[in-house]
Amino acid sequence: MIETQGPWAGPGCARFLADAADLLAAGDRVCLFLLQDGVTAAVGTTLSEVDGLLAAGATVWVDRFSVDQRALTAAARPAGVELVDVDRVASALLDPDVRAVWH
Amino acid sequence: MARIPEADLLLAVMGAPHASDLVTSVLRIAEAVVGQGGRVQVWTCGYATMLTQASLGAAKPRNVVDWSRDYPSTAAVVRDLIAASAGALSWYSCRFCGEERGVTAHIPEVRVRPPFKFGEHVAAARKTLFTGVI
Repeated sequence: MIETQGPWAGPGCARFLADAADLLAAGDRVCLFLLQDGVTAAVGTTLSEVDGLLAAGATVWVDRFSVDQRALTAAARPAGVELVDVDRVASALLDPDVRAVWH
Repeated sequence: MARIPEADLLLAVMGAPHASDLVTSVLRIAEAVVGQGGRVQVWTCGYATMLTQASLGAAKPRNVVDWSRDYPSTAAVVRDLIAASAGALSWYSCRFCGEERGVTAHIPEVRVRPPFKFGEHVAAARKTLFTGVI
């Protein structure tokens, strides 16, 4: 699940992450990729939904390029959040068992 | 119109390019997927159709505080990406959205398609990712 908006754009980000939590609770494996302004959900003050996803066993990736572009490289991130390059996402998108949703 | 090539990923670019760094993300993902041997189609709608209009030329206007630096236009970036992909990247643009916004000609590498053909592109792709909202 690719989140690009972030919490500052409105409640859509939190709702999207709640959808991720629902999928996780239903037994799916979930990977959340925070991209563009979406990185602000897990950099600095973390959105509670991100903490919830991490606690429930989801994988949370943050786009390194987006973080660098926003000069947030030094900002704190919660344990378990992984900085990744877009190659990791490309690999997941090529996996036939992975379904992707963009917000 | 030639047969639509099969693709591993269809990136439908719906969001306006000037609203966020959406286009950068799309280009990065497309390049990365092609780099891993995947085949990608990009379909642009709305204001994203303007990314590849021929009138953009090869370069953006000069930067007055960095006069000698070359800034390629989005059309040039897309053209170079298609050329480097060795056939793994195809770029399509919605005719209706383009004509509604005055895009009368695209660079030759881009194919213009009527909106009702979009479903055929979805069918030709293993996975479709809708990016942004018109």
